[in-house]
Formats: sequence, structure tokens, C-alpha cells
Amino acid sequence: MTTETGASRDTRLRADCTIDPDGRIAFALRPPAAVDFRSSRMLLRLRPKKGQPEKVVHVLDLEPADDGSLRAVLEPQPQLAEGRWDVYVLAEPRESGDPGDSTDSGDSIESIESIESGDPGDSGDTGGLGDPGARRQRIRPGLRDLRVLVDGQSRDRPSPVAVRVPYATKDGYLAVRAWLRTAHAEVEGVEVTDRSMTVRARLHGATLADGATVRLRLRGGDGVVRTLEPRAASDGRAFSFTVDYGELAAGHGTGSRVWDLSVQPRPAAGAPPVRIGRLLDDVADRKEIFVYPQAAVGGVTVRPYYTVDNDLSVEVTAVRP
Amino acid sequence: MKISFLLHNAYGIGGTISTTFNLAQALAERHEVEIVSVLRHRARPNLALDPKVALRPLVDLRHEKEHPLHLRPARVFPAAEYRHHQYSELTDQRIGECLAATDADVVIGTRPGLNVHLALQAPEHVVRIGQEHLSLDNHPPRLRAALRRAYRRLDALTTVTQADATAYRRRMRLPGVRVEALPNSVPDPVLPAADGTAKVVVAAGRLGPVKRYDLLIEAFALVAAEHPDWRLRIYGKGDEHARLQEIIQRLGLCEHVFLMGAAAPMEAEWVKGSIGVAASDFEAFGMTIVEAMRCGLPVVSTDCPYGPGEIIEDGVDGRLVPVGDRDALGAALLDLVRDDERRRRMGRTAMENARRFAPVPVVERAERLIDEALTLRRAGRRVAPDPGRIRNLLVSQAFAARDTAHAAASQALHTVRRGRR
Repeated sequence: MTTETGASRDTRLRADCTIDPDGRIAFALRPPAAVDFRSSRMLLRLRPKKGQPEKVVHVLDLEPADDGSLRAVLEPQPQLAEGRWDVYVLAEPRESGDPGDSTDSGDSIESIESIESGDPGDSGDTGGLGDPGARRQRIRPGLRDLRVLVDGQSRDRPSPVAVRVPYATKDGYLAVRAWLRTAHAEVEGVEVTDRSMTVRARLHGATLADGATVRLRLRGGDGVVRTLEPRAASDGRAFSFTVDYGELAAGHGTGSRVWDLSVQPRPAAGAPPVRIGRLLDDVADRKEIFVYPQAAVGGVTVRPYYTVDNDLSVEVTAVRP
Repeated sequence: MKISFLLHNAYGIGGTISTTFNLAQALAERHEVEIVSVLRHRARPNLALDPKVALRPLVDLRHEKEHPLHLRPARVFPAAEYRHHQYSELTDQRIGECLAATDADVVIGTRPGLNVHLALQAPEHVVRIGQEHLSLDNHPPRLRAALRRAYRRLDALTTVTQADATAYRRRMRLPGVRVEALPNSVPDPVLPAADGTAKVVVAAGRLGPVKRYDLLIEAFALVAAEHPDWRLRIYGKGDEHARLQEIIQRLGLCEHVFLMGAAAPMEAEWVKGSIGVAASDFEAFGMTIVEAMRCGLPVVSTDCPYGPGEIIEDGVDGRLVPVGDRDALGAALLDLVRDDERRRRMGRTAMENARRFAPVPVVERAERLIDEALTLRRAGRRVAPDPGRIRNLLVSQAFAARDTAHAAASQALHTVRRGRR
């Protein structure tokens, strides 16, 4: 069941967070009674690719507040690199309180990892984490007050477009998803019919010029690109375009292919295309929530979808393999 | 005073578990409180429990699943109870021993089968309070017949609604047993309340047929047609997911209605909305309605048995519409979508009115009930004179006869069917 109004006090390390319209995130850590975290800091680290060392970390001071919580603020600057940022507390946890008051008290400290000395993360930006014995502990999410993000599409963003959404990871820890793009094309609506889809979008951090094109790039397709002409509004921001499924079906062959969508705001050669996606609200993982119907056209099925990075793509799959 | 709760499985997830934890924690401010969990299947509870409340499991399924006694069906725990298949001679024995040895002044059962254990096996000096989180009308006749016999030996029985308490008083002959509604409590919200400006309608609960999310999505189509900038977010997971997604696509609502997945706690999700909604055919209580109201949302709900009508005051802090009526549900939502001022006013009233479900008033009621039962039992007198007793006696005897007949008939049918196999 999803609607548990759980107990307010518990033995795990949890942090509430609140985000404001500028992307400033205020964390409030609720330390369990049995653990003293008086001299501690909060650490955000960009999750490295599998097998890669951790390179980028961001350290915040935790200040005690009147209500017994510890507060930290992640300011809008510096901007976070695009990716998933895991949140930790760095501390010297000292057990206090009477041991043995609960059979489960031993579980109150979980997943403490030692920071290995010689870790490449021990460069200047880590704030001296190379201290031998410095330990870190992942944090469980408390209440994430993201209400100001819900209508985030209504505000035009300057370049670079920076987005942050605190979320709960699949294994139940607090993390922050960040996007950082020179410009961004936000999907505001997708209308799907039996034979086409029409996308309404808005450009942030750039404006559309004459000769702008929408590009469908075949993933893993050695640079195969189809182009479309968007219908642009006079403000140079809003635009729309229609993808004819028949054209994607023609010459598809077998198996499954994915077309990634972007817009090239001006014809200048070398101007980078701007990925079309949906980033400007409170939904960190959109793929399973924003779902569009698939259509059957000329021996293939066609379905627009959001990728794991919340970008818009179209999947074309042959009905017979 | 020492208070002991008898709970099916404190390590799982569910409405009864969370409401029991809430009550136990609130009582633990002034009393010694323990939760006895008949079953345990994992190291620690899924829901957080204040360390002030002691937790004691009786049967640990991680080691005792194959215990010879656990392979034999329970005999004390009634066969007609929904969870009988999870009980055994081992649970019979452990619960019996636990009750015989209890040093608690009050033991509170939290489901029908455990209330039966409590009624039959608690020592004479212990106050026995049964809690019903479901409803009498939904119990099968055989279970009603079993409860009718056992519940007489309780000091008090609590239901989550007045309507269900009335049903127990009317249909069960329980002389000397105090029957009283004790609603579920919802903790005080931590976040600032919703301000009524977001164009979002929120629903929450398991995606099961009884919640009628199919009806809700169809009703919301009426809203989206007139106000395309409004969204419906449905939180929860369950077997209906694929079917509901199909309905959303068929109605062309992919940009308007979203199946958000599970969210716990819901508080941060409620405050993203301006209207709460429930379309259920049945709600024993209606915890999500109270949660939404406590966060400052007016709630539009079907007036289904039993909870919603006791939580929402129609037209004041929300709307009640007939069960299964798509157009009425859509129209009630539209009324609140169209009228910003009315929506905000009703939201503020909802927050005020839902304070009666805060832990403090609910725990005060529970404490009063416990104190009175304790006083009566210590005085050796459980029976409070009841003015309507003779009439109730006749009515309840008629119901008893009917349940016995139903139970006998279904037993006979069962026997016949078994014979044919």
C-alpha cells in the first residue's frame, strides 16, 4: 500500500528537503537519538559509471537548528554536472544512549563506508576528505517538498539550463538528479494518432531562427538523420512538429530501432542540436509514468517514449522479427 | 499501565499496521506499550516504529516455517477468518502462552481472529479490547457466527466508523461489551499546507478494482475537456495498472492522467495538489481522505460504505457523490476546478475539520475507553445497563439465526462439493 502515514520517529538517518524555484535545496537531517553527529558535513557525489572512480564531489556544512535537526543548503551555484548525485553524511558517529534498549539498535547505523585513502576523489575540491578514518553514510529520503517544481514549464530558463530534482533511488536512498545543458527543448505535449505524432515544445536557453530543423537521429546508425521543418511561434521559443510514422516505417527492415529527437535552432553548420525532452517538473524518472500508445503502421509498431534521462525518443519495432 | 497490542505481522506494510503503530506510539507517551507480532518474516519492520514501543514476535517464519506444529491448521484462530491459512497449531500455542503469561493490564486485538484469541484466552484480570479495521457487513456469515460467540467475552470492541459500530450493536448480541467507533488517526502534517493554486487533482491507494480508478479516469475526462490545463495524479501500484493505462490511452488522456507509482509518505505529494479524490465502491475507513484533508485539500469522494460520509461534510470541506456515478463525480470535480475561491475556502475548512483525526484526540478517546473498561473490570462488573436492550436483543437474535442458517448452508454446500471431487 502506498499511503502509509508512517511513524514520525525512526532509527534511520533521514533528511527532508525543500527546493525553491531557483534550484536551491535546503536539507534538514534528522539524526537518530542514538547517534551524535555534531561535527559533520553533507557530501554529494556524482555517481560514477560502473567501474569508474568517483571524481566529482560537493561538500556542505551542516548547521544545528533549533528543532534538533541539522541543516545544509545547496545553493544554485555552482551548477551540478548532469547525472545522479548520491547524498551522504560525513561524520564521526559516536554511539551514545543506552545500548540494548531495543533489539534492533544495532541497525541504526547502516552502510557506513570508509573513504579509502588514495581515492582520486581526494583532490582539492573534496574539502580534505582524505582524513584517515573519515566515514560516510548514505541518507534515507524524508519528505521531499518539490511543489514549486510542478509547474516548472511555465518559466523561461536562461542558458545554461540547470535542473535539479531530489528523488528516492530504487534502493531507497536520497539522491539528486541534475541536468545541465547549454539549451533545452521542453516537450509540452505529445498528441499521438494511428499514423503520426505531433509534439509541442518550447525552447529554453536559445531561440529559433529561420531555417531551424527538427532532427531524428538513428541511435547507433552511423549518423543517419532525418530532418523535419518545425512550425515556430513568433516568440522564437514555442514550436511544434509532426512525425509521420509511415516515413519511419519505410525501409525499416527487421528488429528494433530508436530515433532520438532534437532541434537545431539555426542552420549554421556546427551549431549543436538541442535535445528534446521533458525536464522541467518534479518527476525525476518519467519513463514509466508518461506513457504514450503505440501505433501499428506498415509492418512495424511505433511508440514515442521518454528515455531513462527523460529525453524524447521514438522506438520502431518490426512486427515480425 | 501496561498496554499490549496483538498484531498479525508488524513487519509488513498496511493500513492496520500503520494505524496500530500510530496509536501505540501515542500511548507510549504515558504508558508502557508493547506490540506482540504473531508473525515475523524479516529482521526489522518496514514501517518505522518508535523505540519506546517494545516489539515482540511470536513465530519467526525465517526459521520456523517448517515447524511441525506450523504445518497443522489452527484450531483456536477461527477457520472462517481471512488469514486462517497463515495461522497454525503453533500460532495457537504461542498466542495462548503469550496471553496466559502477559503482565499487561490491557490487551488490544487488531483483527477478528486475534480478538477471538483474546476473548477466549486472556487471563481474568486483563482488560480485553478488540479492534475491527474491516466491517461487519463484509464478513462472511460463518465468521460473523464465530465472532458472535467469542466477542461476548470482550470488554470493548472498537470499529473505525460509527456506521460499523451501529451494525455491531444491532446485529450482534454482545451484552456488557462496549461497542464504540475509534477512527484511525493521521499524524500532524510537517509541511506547509497546499495553497490551492496547483492545477492538480490527487488520488492515492492500491490500484485494485474496489478503488474504481477506472471510474475516476472517465470522470476526469470531463474535467480535462473543459480545463485542459488540469492534471490527475494517481499514486499507488497494483494489479489494475495495465488496465488503467489502457483506459488513459483510449480516452486520449496521456497528457492529463498519470499513474505515478507508489509514494510513501504521501504528504509531499498531497501538497502538490489542490483537490483530493476517492472513487471507491467501499472504504472501511478512508485514510487517504483524512490525509489529504489534513494537508489542506478539499476531497471529492463517493459516499460509499462506510468511512467517507463520516469524514467529509458535503459542500463544506469536500463533496460526496453517489457510488459508481461518473457524471456526478466529474461534475463535483469541475465545481471545484472552476471556482478557485470556493476550492481554497473548502481546503482551509478541510484542514480544520480533519484535526479531529489527529493522534491527540484519537488517543484521548482510546485512553478514556481503556480507563473505563479497566475500572469496570476491576469492580468485577462489565455490564452497563442499556436502555434499548430488549429491542436490540430481538433484532440481534434474528440476525444471529440468519447467519447461522447461512453458515450451515454454505458448510453443507462445501461438504457436497468436496464429496464430488
